[in-house]
Parts: sequence; C-alpha cells; structure tokens
Amino acid sequence: MKKEASSLSELGFDVNFGAGFFRQVPSSESCDGGGTQRRRRPTKVSVIGAGDVGMAIAQTILTLGLADEIALVDADAHKVRGEMLDLQHAAAFLPRVRIVAGTDVLALTRGSDLAIVTVPGARQQVTMELLRKNVAVLREIVPAVAEGSPESLLLVVSNPVDVLAYAAWKLSGFPASRVIGSGTNLDSSRLRRLLADHLGVGAQDVQAYMVGEHGGTAVALWSSISVGGMPVLSYLQKTHTSSSSSFDGEALEGIRQAVVGGAREVIGLKGYASWAIGYSVASLARSLLRDQRRVHPVSVLAKGFIPGDDHQVFLSLPARLGRGGVLGVAAGLELTADEESTLRRSAETLWGHCQALGL
Amino acid sequence: MHKTSSLSDLGFDAADASSGFFRPVADDSTHSSSSAPHRRLTKVSVIGAGNVGMAIAQTILTQNLADEIALVDALPDKLRGEALDLQHATAFLPRVRIVSGTDHAVTASSDLVVVTAGVRQNPGEARLSLLRRNVELFRKIVPPVAEHSPDALLLVVSNPVDVLTYVAWKLSGFPASRVIGSGTNLDSSRFRFLVAEHLDVNAQDVQAYMVGEHGDSSLAIWSTISVAGMSAFKSLRDSHHSFDEAALEGIRRAVVGGAYEVIGLKGYTSWAIGYSVASLAASLLRDQRRVHPVSVLASGSHGISDGHDVFLSLPARLGRSGVLGVAEMDLTEVEAAQLRRSAKTLWENCQLLDL
Repeated sequence: MKKEASSLSELGFDVNFGAGFFRQVPSSESCDGGGTQRRRRPTKVSVIGAGDVGMAIAQTILTLGLADEIALVDADAHKVRGEMLDLQHAAAFLPRVRIVAGTDVLALTRGSDLAIVTVPGARQQVTMELLRKNVAVLREIVPAVAEGSPESLLLVVSNPVDVLAYAAWKLSGFPASRVIGSGTNLDSSRLRRLLADHLGVGAQDVQAYMVGEHGGTAVALWSSISVGGMPVLSYLQKTHTSSSSSFDGEALEGIRQAVVGGAREVIGLKGYASWAIGYSVASLARSLLRDQRRVHPVSVLAKGFIPGDDHQVFLSLPARLGRGGVLGVAAGLELTADEESTLRRSAETLWGHCQALGL
Repeated sequence: MHKTSSLSDLGFDAADASSGFFRPVADDSTHSSSSAPHRRLTKVSVIGAGNVGMAIAQTILTQNLADEIALVDALPDKLRGEALDLQHATAFLPRVRIVSGTDHAVTASSDLVVVTAGVRQNPGEARLSLLRRNVELFRKIVPPVAEHSPDALLLVVSNPVDVLTYVAWKLSGFPASRVIGSGTNLDSSRFRFLVAEHLDVNAQDVQAYMVGEHGDSSLAIWSTISVAGMSAFKSLRDSHHSFDEAALEGIRRAVVGGAYEVIGLKGYTSWAIGYSVASLAASLLRDQRRVHPVSVLASGSHGISDGHDVFLSLPARLGRSGVLGVAEMDLTEVEAAQLRRSAKTLWENCQLLDL
C-alpha cells in the first residue's frame, strides 16, 4: 500500500526555510533563552488501544479540546497510523493538537498527564483463563507507561474493569489515588437518563449512583436519587400505584437490569459499543485534567469504605476527581442491608479473582 | 432483543410521571397556555448510519449543533444500536433528542439533512453501473426527505459527491442554493494541514483552496495559499531545490491520496469527514457566512456553459439559507481550462442518468 507523503519535507521542501517567512523578535543577551525557565508542559493524554472504544475516547477528547497532545498506541501499526492520519486531516476544523501514533508504548506515552488503557478488548464471558490473558497484556503495557510517565494518572477502561484496575495499580507501582477504573460511570449515566426522560428533566439534574462491581451485579443506590433537591424514589412510589406500573422492588430490579444490560444490548445490535463509553471517559478525563472536583462513580481502591469489608479490591464508589486523581471517596453512604451485603459479596468475589492472579 | 430506551418500555406510565413532581407556575386566566408560539428546535437528520454517517452525527452531537438528531438506515438493528449508543451518552451532554427509523418520516421538519448513503461497488463493476445504482438509491431517499422537510438544507456526502449532489438537487426539486455537496472541504483541510506543518503555524491560519471535481482531478489553487496576509507561494518556491510543476503536483497528490492512504491503513475514513461536515453544519445552521470550498451549482462560472448544470467545488459563502454566494476566483487560464474539462466530464456523466 502506498505511503503518502505526510509532510512537505518528504516532498523535497526545505523545512528550515520557514525562518524567512516569520521572523523572531529580537532577544537581548541578558534574557533567559527560555530553556532554563520551567515552561508549563502541554497536557498530554495517551490512549492505549486504537479499537472502537479507544478511538471513540480519543476523538471525543480531541473534539472537547481537553488535550494539547494525544498519543495513540496499538499493536497494529497500520491501523493506528490510519487512525492518526484520519484525526490529523481534520486540522483545519480544530484547535492545534499534536497527535502521535505507533506501537512503542514507552516512547509514545512518555510524559503523559493521563494514560487511558482500553486493551485488551473482552467480548466474551469472563473466565479465569481470559482474566490471566488480560493481565498478561497489562504486564506488557502498564510498567512501560509508569516508567515513561511516573506522575501520570492511570485510567483503566478494559473489562473486567475492577480486576484490571487493581492489576494496573499493582503493576504500575502508583499510589492508589492515581489509578481508577471507568467503573459504573456510564451505567450511572444510563440510569440518570432513563429517569430524566421519564420525569421530563435534563439528565444533568438527576443525581443517581450505581456502585459496586461493574457488570451484572452493580448496585443502584435508589435512596441516592434526587432531582431538584427532592428525593425521587419515595415520590415515584407514591404516584405510581397502579398494578401495571408501580415502583416496587421487582420494578426497580427491572430498571437496574435494563441499565446494566445496556452495553450488551448495543453490542447485540451494532456489534460493539463506542460512543457512550467515549463520552463517559472523556467526562472523567475533563474532571481529572481540569481539576474539576466532580463526583463520579468510578472504580477505586475500596478498602475501608464498605462496612464489614476490608479487602484490597477496586470497585465503584462515588469519588471526587481532580488533577491529583482520586481526592476522596464517599464515606457516608447510607446503604440498605441488601445493598451492603451485595457490595460485600462483590468485594469477596473480586478479591478471589485478584488473589488467583498472583499480583 | 429487549427494547429499553425508556421507562415506558419497562412498563412505567409516562403520562403521570412529572405531574406533581414539578408543578407549572400559576397562569393568568386571560392567557391561553398554547398561544405562545414555541421556537422550533434545530433538527439535523443523517441518512446512512455507517462509519461516515455516525462520525458526522456524533461530532454534531458533541459540538452541540443540534437539539434533535434523526438517524436513518436500511439496517434496522445496526441503526437502533447506533441510536442507543448515542442516547446512552446523552447524560454527559446538554439535552438532545435522538430518534431513528428505517422510514424517512423520522426526518420530518429537519433544518439540515446530511446524505451519506451509497451502494457498495461490486467487484469489477463499471463506474457508470455503480453510478446508476446510486441514483436508484437516491430516488428512494431524496424525494421522501424533501417532502418531509420542504425547507431543509440538503448536504450530500456520498461519492462521487459532485454527480450525486446534482442528482439530489434534481430529485429534491429544491433551489440550488439549498443543495450542496461536501466536495473539497476536507481535501482543503488536508492541504492546509500540510502547509501549516511546514510553516509551523496553526492550520486555521493557512488559507488555501482545493476546488473542482472532488477526487483524483481536484485542483489546488496555488495563488490562494496565504498566511498572515502573505502569499505563501513564493516562499514555497524559494524553499525547494528544484521547484517546478512536479513539486506542486507532488503536494496535490499527497492531499488527494490522503483518503486512500487512510482507507488502506484502517479500512475506511470517518473522523476527518465527520469534523469536515460538522464544520459545514455549523456554518449553515448558525448562519456564520463562512467561506468553504463545497460542491455547488457551477454553471456560468469560469466559462462553464450556462446550460451545463454541473456541481463542483468552489469557495462558497454558507449561511442559514444555504449558499449565499460563490467566489469569483482569479484563476489562471490553465486552471480555468482544467475546471472546464472536469465540468465537461461531469456533465457527460449527468446526462447519462435520465434525470
């Protein structure tokens, strides 16, 4: 396949000529040349994995103007170069962003403020064997990222996200405050959207958190739902009392299942899911990079936060996110007995997986 | 497959939902609640939910250009999956309504309709045959779309874009000012990117136009390259060891070949055309009066015969009512002749289509 020239210098044009086109302002001898002065580095985001998820994340981050430099890394050199060119060709329509791509994790991700891991892709049911393979992939990637970007934030998206976030934490040697998994951020947004549409309000005005283990056993904190300062659940239960549409336990469980099944539904229809996770992760990226102190339900080191559980596992809890990573985790959640026991059960299951991985 | 895009799908009665939860302000009895005309929301429809259509829809969504987005495709599952994937994202965005359907009725009352649908080329199929099949596809799409949104702007992206924009114009019955093709808008961006990287300036500060027939025969108008009010042509000439036609042609080919290269590497192009079309959508919907090289009715320009109703790319001022004007460029005789040659070929193709 023909490699096109990607620069005028490749076509024989002298790159140094530009000096005549724009001239620099005169600099005095006593002036600091700029080299010794600490200049604020440009914001760099690396996305590891240029598949549907990775590229939706990278493109959304680009469109939202969250980074000055984006590095794309993938094992498939052709694919990742194609993706880079496809983004670069839009240069006239976007603020200037430096975009690099390739297969060398360390070289490309060096100096990142945020590294987002979307590999490996996991489509089928998670088994221990698959889990070991996934961790083996992370072993190839995470230490290199940590070496090149020792101050970086690490955001894991690949599934099963709670176990892989734990693995990434162990493999990076980073403090737990700098490692998060995308967790139930998207599930929570699905729940909020369902409720928002039903009530005719904007989704941003619905507070609602799904927590715990990302996947089929995520917990919807029904008592946490509020709109316009009003608790929603009790209101809904009061007003929906007909036998065909009451907000009883069974109905709530139906909603929860619809939410956690959302990705599977999309995958069943279009073959994969991309746009929603792209926005979800871009939203996390913004809170982190711009020090927004926003609360997101994401997979964090949950040790000490679930009553009666002390395991060192990652699972989703409402967490305050900012430039330093996880600034704090909700410590005063009012959980029902059922919610507590589900979370404890999840923590135990996750701990079992983590131990079996020998990290 | 369990359909779950709303609580009513799950059996919850939507009619009672917000009453009582939010109460309207007390109304003066002399005012009828339905008398105030509601300002219509901005609606964009995208026909074709493939890689190109979805990159366009998603970029328009992220850039907050529309209040409602409608998606249409022939494959119902793929379409529904894409619509759901976007809907799941809406909690992170300002409220946007996303609808979809295989029936064009879902596009009713659009302000802008973007057509990305096209048939796949059969192995060894001749260009004319492919073109005719695309015309048949457009016959199924354009008339119903025009009927459902008689005041819409029509933006054609499907290739070959210049011929298909002509086809869409004919089938819609719209005035030519409301029908444009994405044309060389993206090629020009690639052109500007190459020059910008070379000069180490922002691509938005490089003015440079590629015009004519989108594809292998597009024209780079060298005299239009300008940065900081200076023509960059002389500088390019001075920086090349043997500046000649071949050097310029090398740049033009790198631009034109850009799309092929991406297709060869990742299988298709999506992001760049998504941004390109979203940029056109912004200029149109927000009445920006920006100048973009897009495929417009070019008869009467540069010696192209008045009776030859061809569409090809020229710098055009775009706003809420569509094409507000087309630039009367200063072309060299060679450039004008090349343009006329493209127009002739395009016209010959158009004549074979029985429109």
